[in-house]
Amino acid sequence: MSGRNERGSPYAPHTAAETDAMLSAVGVEGVGDLFDIPEQVAFDGEFGIESRSEREAERHVAGLLARNDDLTEFLGRGHYEHYVPSLVDHISARSEFLTSYTQYQPEITQGFLQALFEYQSMLVELTGLEIVNASMYDHATALAEAALLAARVRQTSGDRVLVPEYLLDARRDVLENYTDGAGLSVETYATDDGNVDPDALAETIDDDAVLVYAENPTALGTVEENLDAVGRLADNHDALFCLGSDPVALSVLQEPESVGADVVVGDAAALGLPTAYGMGLGLFACRDDFVRQVPGRLVGASEDDADRRAYTLTLQTREQHIRRERATSNICTNQAWVALRTAIHAAYLGPGGLVDLANDCVTLAADLADRLDAVKGVQAPVHDRHHFREFVAHTDQPAVAIAEDLEAEGFAVHAVGEHHVQVCITDANEHAADALVAAFEEVA
Amino acid sequence: MNYDQARWTHDANGESTADQYEPLLSEKNTEEVAVDSPLPDDLTRDSLELPDLSEPELARHYTRLSQMNYGIDSGPYPLGSCTMKYNPKFTEDVAALADAAVHPDRSDRSVQGTLALLDGLQDYLARIGGMDAVSLQPPAGAAGEYTGILVAKAFHEQNGEGEQRDEIIVPDSAHGTNFASAALAGYDVVELPSGDDGRVDLEALEAAASDRTALFMLTNPNTLGLFERDIGEIAGIVHDAGGLLYYDGANLNALLGQARPGDMGFDIMHYNVHKTFATPHGGGGPGAGPVGVTERLAEFLPAPRVRERDGGKEFELFDPENTVGKVHGFEGNWLVLVKTYAYIARLGDEGLRDASAKAVLNANYLASQIDYDIPFGPFHHEFVASAGDQDAADVAKRMLDYGVHPPTTKWPEIVPEALMTEPTEIEGKETLDQLADAFNSVASEDDETLESAPNRTTARRIDQTSAARNLRLSWHALEEEE
Amino acid sequence: MSFDVPDDRKYLESHEWVAVTDGTAKLGITDFAQDELGDVVFVELPGEGDDLTAGEEFGVVESIKAVSDLYSPVSGTVVGVNDALADQPELVNEDPFGDGWMVELELDDEGELDDLLSADEYGDQIA
Repeated sequence: MSGRNERGSPYAPHTAAETDAMLSAVGVEGVGDLFDIPEQVAFDGEFGIESRSEREAERHVAGLLARNDDLTEFLGRGHYEHYVPSLVDHISARSEFLTSYTQYQPEITQGFLQALFEYQSMLVELTGLEIVNASMYDHATALAEAALLAARVRQTSGDRVLVPEYLLDARRDVLENYTDGAGLSVETYATDDGNVDPDALAETIDDDAVLVYAENPTALGTVEENLDAVGRLADNHDALFCLGSDPVALSVLQEPESVGADVVVGDAAALGLPTAYGMGLGLFACRDDFVRQVPGRLVGASEDDADRRAYTLTLQTREQHIRRERATSNICTNQAWVALRTAIHAAYLGPGGLVDLANDCVTLAADLADRLDAVKGVQAPVHDRHHFREFVAHTDQPAVAIAEDLEAEGFAVHAVGEHHVQVCITDANEHAADALVAAFEEVA
Repeated sequence: MNYDQARWTHDANGESTADQYEPLLSEKNTEEVAVDSPLPDDLTRDSLELPDLSEPELARHYTRLSQMNYGIDSGPYPLGSCTMKYNPKFTEDVAALADAAVHPDRSDRSVQGTLALLDGLQDYLARIGGMDAVSLQPPAGAAGEYTGILVAKAFHEQNGEGEQRDEIIVPDSAHGTNFASAALAGYDVVELPSGDDGRVDLEALEAAASDRTALFMLTNPNTLGLFERDIGEIAGIVHDAGGLLYYDGANLNALLGQARPGDMGFDIMHYNVHKTFATPHGGGGPGAGPVGVTERLAEFLPAPRVRERDGGKEFELFDPENTVGKVHGFEGNWLVLVKTYAYIARLGDEGLRDASAKAVLNANYLASQIDYDIPFGPFHHEFVASAGDQDAADVAKRMLDYGVHPPTTKWPEIVPEALMTEPTEIEGKETLDQLADAFNSVASEDDETLESAPNRTTARRIDQTSAARNLRLSWHALEEEE
Repeated sequence: MSFDVPDDRKYLESHEWVAVTDGTAKLGITDFAQDELGDVVFVELPGEGDDLTAGEEFGVVESIKAVSDLYSPVSGTVVGVNDALADQPELVNEDPFGDGWMVELELDDEGELDDLLSADEYGDQIA
């Protein structure tokens, strides 16, 4: 026994002698004397939580998680997996990055600030918009912040946020929850064969619209063909156009700026994070006219007393710790470490690697759809569009039964309608495509 | 102790770029590739221009950047209110297990391990907070606050008082997020001035609480480290007015095993897991801000939550009956929740109780060793010293030269030139003495020395005015400038 | 520290000044205010033709560490805005009573000037 905290926190280094010396320096007999807690609210019970050694704790957690079935996932719908190079894990685990706080003392945190500045810059290139913040929580919360920004920057009144039929329920739910307090109303406009329908949008939109939202690729995996029209319609009614996407798709799909997007949101963790039960990285980009209305942290370049370029958080007067109830958002803690990982992954791939990866997302989805279409009882894809990573397939059997039967064969797919399944393929699961097709042949 | 942070420099010597530290990725090598895709041309971009470096070059780039950064593993980090404590390495290992890497749309039956862990964490947090039900969905403390406010709103709406209760009361010394979260939810913020002793002024609270009060948000111990001894009366005033009481969990690390928000009369609380349960701050995030509530509010929590099925043999997701809906697209920051669970499972009752005891002992010991005046007490896990005639921001810059991260400065404003200091439980006496030396050395230095600091960090004092007046938020903006 | 308080104009307790010549009034913030704020990085001002009301907000001034609302000492219609501040917000620090002016108004009621602080009164307030 070390005499060091046998029954205490393993991370508090005090020996009994040190504790005594500190207590006498403070002038009290025991640590209990330092708590100024009235008796009627003091807690003298037990939580009933067992203390464990590191080995026991590690085995306990590993044992719990081992109850997860080992399935090959062909799942997407907003959360995508690409192979994450080892470099990302090793560099991002360096404790100078991982265990640091927000960069409120920039002189001693140049490394993280520069990495975030580089993240912002790479997303500026991918979106074509001038401003990218240092992250929001995820796609859904970034979309909600886009609607709130639109309501703030629009000079005239109006409260309508127009979203396409294909918007995922979870995103819509978050959007409504975050914009209710601002009095915005979220309304759906019709889509046609998995793409926005410009005619339907033209009928729905009016001068009360503050934001029009579309995705590319859509939640159904289709590539949008009518974004120019959406941009024009939004512009005609002085509404902002917000496009949802991700950094892999942005590497080949139309540049958002070129179709008139004012804001781009998305989940940038498609690069940098493995599947993590929905943990993400909210991408938020916008035109520079809105820089003073941007939510979240921004890293900027400046100079130091040695006349060298240096980086710092800037425009902090927008944020809650200074502007309080008039801040552009309540966000404080963001997803900075995920942004670091995304930046490393993007830099690892480089422009050529990103374009290749994105092109694979097009061809892999097209090939798999072709092969499933050849399976008796399956028609794929349902939408007569180009696809990115994923597509919807029609199954003659009920989709839920298909998904359950595939699960028994070791595969996970989405059941998205009575006879519709959705299948997502990337570099992370393409090795199992043959086996998936064979399993479909068994169960369809 | 002597300290010099790594400083890679790259001087332009007449080149077109500026003198700098490590050059940007874009300045090392950039390629523009034409986008040739299986998609029709009109649906694709023409080209893409991004950095193009080899893996070894990138490994060096980022290793150098890491050397020019400071984490809790680098040295003391007594940032008040931020609770910068050691992040146990094994929690990284369990979060990286292949079994933890699952998609959120998996069927419940295929992710029983994930659900078991989430159920276990809901249970741990409920016990620690004295709450009856917990949602793990909010991805950060501020999102937790917002979730709690939505729950309060739903409760009042169910009672037919949704319209009437349009105010949220917040003490003037509260975290900025309290004000911002309340405003985001559409409430009017009523700011409550602190009493002369730095605590809630009961008379002022009596005057502020009314049939318009939806919620009173309070941190306890407060931002001065003081326990709100009148918490029983405070809860009485708020509840008598028909409002709910919200606990901002930012300072929970002071109270583990000593007092529980549920026992103090709080109806809703959020937990800051990277403050209390040692998950890494990651340079600003990700965090997690689980929300706990008492029984009568459980029906309003975000969907889905996890519960046992079949007598505890299995677990399932379910939507609370009158749920406020979702505050995150999926299930929050899962990997952070795994680390939280692992930390609590490691420490257990004894470890958690000792963590708070040592955190309070450390704050009191450090305070006893420093020369700056500390106007309010008795404090718990943190104290707020005053830099007096010195500028607290300059004090902080100078402390960097002593190889320690400075405290939080200039806040709360109730203490002039505030130095808000929270050493946490992880420092031993020797390190605390080193910290005290840094404080005391700086306390005796003149303004000129302070204003010229820091000298030993990578960058010297950075021009904040230039950054804000001449915005350069990407390398594209830097290129335009040149 | 002593601050300039020119006696050719009137003041608000919240540190704005108004100087009137021939029925038009220029507004700005005082030397004391710019010193309290520190380096000004952004000024948000109304547009020409906007109506301002005495005692109400007409804009925002931001430094790197604080944000302050601007209150109009008098009522009137905006007939001029200091566009130079968009690119040179530092003018507010360098010359708060001169080149750092913010807006020009056509006054609704010169009588409102009588309710404002004189240079002496304002000087006492900040002493």
